[in-house]
Amino acid sequence: MSPLEFHARDLTRRAFLARTTTGIGSLALGSLLHPQLFGAVEGSAEPGERWRGVVNPLHHPAKIKRVIYLYQAGGPSHLETFDYKPKLAAMHGQGMPESFTKGQQIAQLQGKELKCQGPQFEFQRYGKSGQEICSLFPHIGSVADEVCIVRSMFTEQINHDPAHTFMNTGSIIPGRPSVGSWLTYGLGAETEELPGFVVLMSAGKGGQMQPVASRQWHSGFLPSRFQGVKFQSKGDPVLYIKNPAGVTRADQQQIVDVVNQLNRVQHDAVHDPEVLARISQYEMAFRMQASVPGLMDVAQEPADVLESYGAQPGDGSFASNCLLARRLAERGVRFIQLYHRDWDHHDDVGHVKFKAAEVDQPTAALIRDLKERGMFDETLIIWGGEFGRTPMAQGKGRDHHIKGFSVMLAGGGIKGGVTYGATDELGYAAVENPVSVHDLHATMLHLFGIDHTRLTYRYQGRNFRLTDVHGEPVSGILA
Amino acid sequence: MSISPFPPGIRLSHFCALLCLGSGPAGASPDAAASATPLGFNRDIRPILSENCFKCHGPDQNQRKAELRLDQREVAIAKGAIAPGKPGDSEVIYRIFETDPEERMPPIDSNRELSAAQKETLKRWIAEGAAYEPHWAFVPPVRPAVPATRSVPAPRYPIDAFILARLEQEGLPPAPEADRRTLIRRLSLDLTGLPPAPSDVAAFVRSRDPQAYEQLVKQYLASPHYGERLALPWLDLVRYADTVGFHNDVPIRVWPYRDYVIDAFNRNLPFDQFTREQLAGDLLPDSTITQRIASGYNRLHRISAEGGIQDKEYFAKYSADRVRTTSTVWLGATMACAECHDHKFDPFTIKDFYRFAALFSDLKEKGAYNLSGGFTRENLTEEMIFASPEQQQRMESLDAEIAKLRTEVDAVTDAQLAASRAEWEAATLAAAAADTLAWSVQRPLEAISPLGTPLAIEEDNSIVPGGKNPPNDTYVVTIPAPLERITALRVEVIQDPRFPGDEVSRGGAAFFISEIEVLGSAAAGAPPQPLRIVASQAASRTEAGYPAEAVFDGDPSTALSFVRKVGGGVALQLAEAWRGGPEATLAVRIRHSENHPYQNLGRFRLSLHTLPEPGPYADAVPDNLLKTLRVPAAQRKPAQVKEIAAYYRTVAPALAAARERLTAAVNTRDYLANAIPTMPVSKSVEPRPIRVLPRANWMDDSGEIVEPGVPGFMRQIEPAPGARASRLDLANWLVAPDNPLTARTFVNRLWRIYFGAGLCRTLDDLGSQGEWPSHPELLDWLAVEFRESGWDVKHMVQLIVTSRTYRQSSRPAPALDERDPLNRLLAHQARFRLEAEVVRDNALAVSGLLVTRIGGESARPYQPEGYYGALNFPKREYVPDLGDGLHRRGVYTHWQRTFLHPSLMAFDAPAREECTANRATSNTPLQALVLLNDPTYVEAARAFAERIVREGGWTFRGKVTWAFARALARKPTKDETRLLEGLFRQQRERYRGDEPAARELISAGAAPGAKKIAPADLAAWTSVARAILNLHETITRN
Repeated sequence: MSPLEFHARDLTRRAFLARTTTGIGSLALGSLLHPQLFGAVEGSAEPGERWRGVVNPLHHPAKIKRVIYLYQAGGPSHLETFDYKPKLAAMHGQGMPESFTKGQQIAQLQGKELKCQGPQFEFQRYGKSGQEICSLFPHIGSVADEVCIVRSMFTEQINHDPAHTFMNTGSIIPGRPSVGSWLTYGLGAETEELPGFVVLMSAGKGGQMQPVASRQWHSGFLPSRFQGVKFQSKGDPVLYIKNPAGVTRADQQQIVDVVNQLNRVQHDAVHDPEVLARISQYEMAFRMQASVPGLMDVAQEPADVLESYGAQPGDGSFASNCLLARRLAERGVRFIQLYHRDWDHHDDVGHVKFKAAEVDQPTAALIRDLKERGMFDETLIIWGGEFGRTPMAQGKGRDHHIKGFSVMLAGGGIKGGVTYGATDELGYAAVENPVSVHDLHATMLHLFGIDHTRLTYRYQGRNFRLTDVHGEPVSGILA
Repeated sequence: MSISPFPPGIRLSHFCALLCLGSGPAGASPDAAASATPLGFNRDIRPILSENCFKCHGPDQNQRKAELRLDQREVAIAKGAIAPGKPGDSEVIYRIFETDPEERMPPIDSNRELSAAQKETLKRWIAEGAAYEPHWAFVPPVRPAVPATRSVPAPRYPIDAFILARLEQEGLPPAPEADRRTLIRRLSLDLTGLPPAPSDVAAFVRSRDPQAYEQLVKQYLASPHYGERLALPWLDLVRYADTVGFHNDVPIRVWPYRDYVIDAFNRNLPFDQFTREQLAGDLLPDSTITQRIASGYNRLHRISAEGGIQDKEYFAKYSADRVRTTSTVWLGATMACAECHDHKFDPFTIKDFYRFAALFSDLKEKGAYNLSGGFTRENLTEEMIFASPEQQQRMESLDAEIAKLRTEVDAVTDAQLAASRAEWEAATLAAAAADTLAWSVQRPLEAISPLGTPLAIEEDNSIVPGGKNPPNDTYVVTIPAPLERITALRVEVIQDPRFPGDEVSRGGAAFFISEIEVLGSAAAGAPPQPLRIVASQAASRTEAGYPAEAVFDGDPSTALSFVRKVGGGVALQLAEAWRGGPEATLAVRIRHSENHPYQNLGRFRLSLHTLPEPGPYADAVPDNLLKTLRVPAAQRKPAQVKEIAAYYRTVAPALAAARERLTAAVNTRDYLANAIPTMPVSKSVEPRPIRVLPRANWMDDSGEIVEPGVPGFMRQIEPAPGARASRLDLANWLVAPDNPLTARTFVNRLWRIYFGAGLCRTLDDLGSQGEWPSHPELLDWLAVEFRESGWDVKHMVQLIVTSRTYRQSSRPAPALDERDPLNRLLAHQARFRLEAEVVRDNALAVSGLLVTRIGGESARPYQPEGYYGALNFPKREYVPDLGDGLHRRGVYTHWQRTFLHPSLMAFDAPAREECTANRATSNTPLQALVLLNDPTYVEAARAFAERIVREGGWTFRGKVTWAFARALARKPTKDETRLLEGLFRQQRERYRGDEPAARELISAGAAPGAKKIAPADLAAWTSVARAILNLHETITRN
């Protein structure tokens, strides 16, 4: 759909409303509108009319309703998480064979001697499926039969900033929508009190804390209502969610009511549906002000739940965010993205142990919790970063690496207990069933019932899509 | 269109009109296939072919299927696809009507499908002879005749004639003129971005002068705020921002460019010169400072210093960014699409893309800024700007003095220093042998901060500040002074991962020490005496303008700072040796610079020395030097001899006086240079070779090296023999009379400001996929008028806003919405939300808080705490401005690319990472939260309330009337007054019962508050003011 059509739909309504609303109170108005016809209009006065997306009906039956993307920012080493390489261990300290590295892009190891760095930790086989996972991650190991490990990811960008942008938007040019924005544009969300696309962020210790730009959850050329909303762990959870000092919820309500009544007076005079849209946005904002604090208050959770995640209420940790992710999922948020920062282990890849201590238990707890609540099969969980790390040593650490790395997926429509694809014997390049970033995106959309070639938006004279002109759903991991 | 926006089976009569007007070519009659009007290729046919066929049968030779191209008539005919006049013999017709989906065009997997009407249109077109036209926007505009209209009197303004002629054709009347209040508010917001002064509204409403409106236009065009308003879309286009954009997104000073743009619009610099100055201000003969500031345009793209990036890759990124931006800004062309392959719809080839890039390859710049020291003045090609003649003169005389002093120092030869050097060598080696060369670290007896910062003393005797980091701390440390002869004190800076950024400072990347003072007490209870410091030496490179000497010059405005990423330290030589003893102590006071809040020193340690002139190194001389000294003189290699001699010159007593003067001169020069703003400008150097990068792969060197040039299908630049096309040639080409795109692109975007949409709505694409303009003749007429007026921007603005079309009411006539829902015919004015910055400006102006100063450094208004939490290198805490900076116009808000101010972002301001031609206008709950709760708007409401109470008269109705005049330039209706009065009574009641709450509300913000109003009254009026500032109408221009 083009912006013009998008706008046109709104204006169709304007035409319709202009004829029908004279003298009719706006409450009665909602029931006049055919929900199928007008439900998808941007903004509306009728609380029941939320954005239902442009993929309506779906291209094929959906397997999932939402994504929880556990985004490990900084570039987790596949060699210390999901991709065991005994041959690399055997070659530890020896020169990296030139046949692997010749003509390939290198980041901070430019001009340095390239030596093999063996895996720093043991691996174990877990579950009935016997998936091989680094022994730092016993909790994830305990749900090994539920998860699918993809060992053959590759990307195109070797530095954090552009690599994040590519992983999130399928392009390195700023101004393209992120995955979450595409999904909320395509499908809407199942909530009116919260944004359809929520971002949470946490940090731990032991790595270089790379910056993460708000571009990563921007809606780009899509309308801004599809932008991800970052919930903050400090200060107001949502920016400007708190009433001004000296203003109670009752005061705020009085003001919002008067604003809406005055706007209605205005609408009666000018018949502009934008005014009705404004009214409904104020209603939603006011509802958000009520629901967000409750949502964020994880202390309401039973002690055993808090314990299973390892979450301390208010600590802003990855564990707390995993628990919040479940709460957001329950409330109908479509795309929940948790950034956990500082996986950038240039100096010492042994520090993966700190990360493991931060993410292992909550990741597994989230999977179990969703299963217990019957939400696992309708949720896609993704665990992975923007790239992997070199099999070559950078001191005690590893450099950025794009030719091969791992991600983990679990949930609806995903085969559990499966390891898919492989890197070569030294963990350098994806050689078996390579999966591109576009493939990963196509797979996500596919699980939602969307053909990734058909979710498009007209911008600068052409139909853009998340996957550009590439990508195939990875059928090998689909249940 | 890939997805039908409408569910199947729903057909309402007005949908057809909507679809034809909305998604089809606006000018096309609803049923082009059947209409009696002859078909126009550009209007009726090209959009169909471009959207559905060109991808595989168009300009891109690599994608072309069956060697057929439908964008060229001869080829289409030769291939049998089109037989003019004989649809039955045309393969195209056969294939589009084919029922077998395998055979039908466009193919299924293209996700494209022709409607029945489109098929019929193509058939009729071939039957009519299949005439082609070159794409309208690629043909230079020719001034069309102003059409005749039937209406009486005939329109005075050409714009109105074009609009009216079309309306008459459609049988629609234009809307009546808007009422005067609406008109003046519209004009004021459109031309200045500010609401009209209530006195102007009253005067205009009363005026009987037939020229009153024209006078008003003149007044606003002459306002200095006109340039601020017009700058907004231009700054979006050129992606002007205050930070580098990539990765750590640190600030960069380019605001003089922003001021240049505002000023250029204000003084009505002709657009052709505006173009030349930005693209090639540095290449103009005898270029002025202003022109070189303008040339900063070429340096506004994002840049990176992320670790591990490569020059070549980032040169390619910057270069492509310039092509994307420049082609969009001036040509309204999507050359971006030709970076990887030939353009699929327009005749831009991949070679064109890289030739265009080569036009900029002479710019002095870096690719990977991290590889050469980061964003330094040198690397950024910064030039000093705004230097006054006196400053300029002073700089020159200091440069001369420095040169002279250098000669003086150099005049003393190493041979002349040989004897004293030998003595020094012997003394140093002896001290090393006696173990007295090393600095003697002292464990602090006490460490305190007058601000209460806890200063922990660590095991290694270092001091680590903790707790809250105050803006401007002072550390006072007492150490024992047991040595008999104390010549020097060292402050050693130790990196510690507990501190952000480069780990030497508590906030930001670096620390800034303004003064270090030393007091000696010979014994317990003895009166402390100040010890004079005469020289200092830093172990790390100091920032230019922040030398070690700053810590003892007694001037709190100067400071010491190290270049980042180092620890090191600074050694302070005492004027004369001080006698310590078992009971003696030294108190050391370290003060930080007020000019650099929060940048307090991190971990540090103090030590003492007994030898003259010890360096700030662990062993008083650099480690390597000591090694060299230990080599017996006879065995030293020439390089070692040189190393020792060079170091000795930095400590030789014979050179001390000259050295001191030299240091002073260098410092003075650096201070001065720091006081004069610099910014990155364009500077021409030997061009880098530019290759075609297949599929935009910067690692692929197989592409040919190209010469700079413009797109091949357009008129070419002809540089002088032997010369290469320059940026100046490009600028001249862009504004040459035969350039088909530049003038159209600009006037189309102007139109958007005053009507909410361009005549061609795709502001960033006038190419084949761009929208067919609603009034192509008018667009051409305006483009020619613009060019022939001498590229006079104010003239064009005046033409537009004085037209009847502009002055129409924005209320559509009944049923018009149904007929023309997108208002393509302009039978009425538009109603749209104010732009992000103007939403802010309007609230501040209404409340009386707005600071109207033009230009200068970017401002930092209130911003939620922690919003920059995801930034790093260095970590940042946003510190809002004090005073004026809180209340400046939105155009001056600090533009952090990766985390744009959330209030601006909520109202659709772009991050300016990439060129933006058309801002979205959304309507979201986050906007409601901003207007309700952002301290900026709460404070504005509070200040507005004070004015309402003080200036709004005695009655409730009088006050609301006063408030409406300011916020909406109109009178409130009875209903409105009644609703607000209800709110006021409820709120006053409530706040009377809770005075603390009232006081909280009315002390919102930093602006001083009113004293003499009862808190409950003022709080209740603040609630009323909040309601008014939150109205849809307040943020809407109609």
